[in-house]
Amino acid sequence: MLISDIRLQFYDKILNKRVLLLVSHDVDALCACKILQSLFHCDHIQYTIVAVTGKQDLERAYLEHSDQLEFVVLINCGANLDLLDLLQPEENVTFFVCDSHRPVHVHNVFNTNQIKLLVNSGDEFNFPAFEDVIHNEHSDDDDSGNESDEPSGKRRRFDEETLERKMEKRRKRREWHENKEKIMYEYEEFSYHGTAASLVMYDLAWKLSQDTNDLLWWAITALTNQLIAKKIDREKYVSDVTELNRHVSRHNHRGNEEENPLSVNSMKVSFVPELQLTLYKHWSLFESMKHSSYTACTLKLWTLKGQKKLHEFLADMGLPLTQSKQKFTAMDKDFKDNVKDWVETSAKKFGLENISVPSFQVQFGFKHKFCAFDVAFSVDSLLESVSNSKSAEERFMEALDCLSRKYISKLEDGVELCKQQMMGVVNQVQTLLDMKKVVSAGPFLYAFIPDGTPDSKFFSRPNCLMLLGRFLLEAYVKLYNRRRSRNLPLVVTAPFDTADGTSLVVGIPPLPELEQASRNFFGKAFEQAASKTGSRTLHDHFEPSVVVLKTEDRSKFFDALISLLQ
Amino acid sequence: MYGDKALELIMELKRAAEGSLPAYNEDGVRQVLEEMSVLYDQNQADVLQEPSMTGGESLISAVQFRHTCLERNQRCLLAYLHNRMEMIKTMRWEFGSVLPPDIKNNMSEQESQWFNRYSKSLASYMRSLGEEGLDLTQDRKPPKNLFIQVRCLMDYGEFETEDGTLVVLKKNSQHFLLRSQCDLC
Repeated sequence: MLISDIRLQFYDKILNKRVLLLVSHDVDALCACKILQSLFHCDHIQYTIVAVTGKQDLERAYLEHSDQLEFVVLINCGANLDLLDLLQPEENVTFFVCDSHRPVHVHNVFNTNQIKLLVNSGDEFNFPAFEDVIHNEHSDDDDSGNESDEPSGKRRRFDEETLERKMEKRRKRREWHENKEKIMYEYEEFSYHGTAASLVMYDLAWKLSQDTNDLLWWAITALTNQLIAKKIDREKYVSDVTELNRHVSRHNHRGNEEENPLSVNSMKVSFVPELQLTLYKHWSLFESMKHSSYTACTLKLWTLKGQKKLHEFLADMGLPLTQSKQKFTAMDKDFKDNVKDWVETSAKKFGLENISVPSFQVQFGFKHKFCAFDVAFSVDSLLESVSNSKSAEERFMEALDCLSRKYISKLEDGVELCKQQMMGVVNQVQTLLDMKKVVSAGPFLYAFIPDGTPDSKFFSRPNCLMLLGRFLLEAYVKLYNRRRSRNLPLVVTAPFDTADGTSLVVGIPPLPELEQASRNFFGKAFEQAASKTGSRTLHDHFEPSVVVLKTEDRSKFFDALISLLQ
Repeated sequence: MYGDKALELIMELKRAAEGSLPAYNEDGVRQVLEEMSVLYDQNQADVLQEPSMTGGESLISAVQFRHTCLERNQRCLLAYLHNRMEMIKTMRWEFGSVLPPDIKNNMSEQESQWFNRYSKSLASYMRSLGEEGLDLTQDRKPPKNLFIQVRCLMDYGEFETEDGTLVVLKKNSQHFLLRSQCDLC
């Protein structure tokens, strides 16, 4: 059931109760969790946070912690699963689901008692009608009950009639089932993302008058991450940014600066157009342009011509090479102050019209100044860090910590990690393109990352592999520039666990779809391909387009996928 | 100059690193006392002189000057001792009745006597509180929040709180629990 008044129907219900928070492994979930935590701290609501990586994990965590609990909040997980079927909860347990995954499972939508969906009121769902998808067993039972009550003598007389009636009913039921299949297929064909969970939580905080700059910044980080991960399209991003900008100006409105100066250590959030260059404020401009998908793909940086073009670009800006290879913070002040304008003017000449995006930046103290893109990237890399010593939960806790201002040094570690990750991604794209390893299989392109590639450990993490996939697809399309390949999706596999012999498979929808609707049809396709061939796959991840596959079954699986998509 | 020695004592105490006690400067204290007795003797001699003698008025300002010096020295000495005493007192609250040896060595004989007596009276006061006594040295500041965030670093198993709720403390889960209950385990 959708909740219309989040404060009345969610927050007031859990006041003074103990709550279990099940949080999925992504930046949006982390930020939403942080916002909720700060609300709970204010109102002394006792809670337990458990990080969950996949469906099995969700089930296990629920079983372990559900004792004596009546309220469970699921953040960025569960909306597209049949929760009651998966978790088999007691009758008195209520689930509050705050999840950006779409489509929402119909059983969750039509369950009025136990499942409450926390969503943004502006979202569109296009739910199928209740009577079309949920079979009303009850009324049928009534009918058959009436029939058997009739006296037996009468029954014989009406035998023919009843038979006809039965036939009619059966036909209707069959029709209904066919119709249901069709509707469900249409409804579940594409997976996509709705408004970020953090924005819903921030909305709650605002309605409770407990929103602060910190909470706002978390919401901004989550939104920015959604754009980076292409979970939402640009249009949706801009409309959400406009929404948040209203809060930003409300919180950071100070009248005359000289009359009421603000302490330097307080947090200031401001709205700025930001360049789409990865971490350029923490890197050198040259490196950053090389490692950002937008510039790298448009300038085709893996060709010699592209390299020249980059130098041309820098020359056009009038920035000396030594300066551009200098750490950004160490650049001459004149250059540093003007670089944003220069990049924007020069970018237009090189076909990089969309290089600047409306975004936010935050400053506290003299030293710490971050833009939302950098933070979103860094938190994600911390979450997906590949160091062997850390378990998934530990990475989750670390990423959760780095969002608080107290542990800012952890965020800086994340920046470094992110650089390594980006370098790994760019190198891999270069290798795959140079070796012509991106192959067209007819209805889609595919690329295998062989075992033993130097950076293959990075790509055993879903988000990073998806980042690589998007980068690769864009690069491939720009490089070959064939009309056919522009509308092709891409499937990438990378070794997941070499000891088990499993690979991670992700599907990237074709570019036009990625740019506009951000919807992904691979979830259903993978599922069907797996069931047709009996491949050993694990659809554990909350993102349906991410699948773990037994490496031996790969060719079988791909054959099925090809015939399915043709 | 008169008073320099006394000032030195104060400065020495002030320069000492926070949380440590500088050695009791017996030599310094003795020098200041000697200076004071010299000043006192000189004053006595001047005051006892015949008032009829010539230049009697000129002596008055000298006597006054020496007297001020005396008072200043006295004040400095008292401040020195008092501040050391306060430091020792805070150490009693921080370290308990047994002090680390390096601090103990820096105390004078009288100071350790005072410390023992202070320690004893504090202990008997704490014993008299409540039914079984109360350790006042614990929790000296009121907690800011009734609740506390708990992060499990190892599997603990089930933990039953006072109101009967069961919390499963499993590795890498995070909880928000009553502070009073968490102190117990």
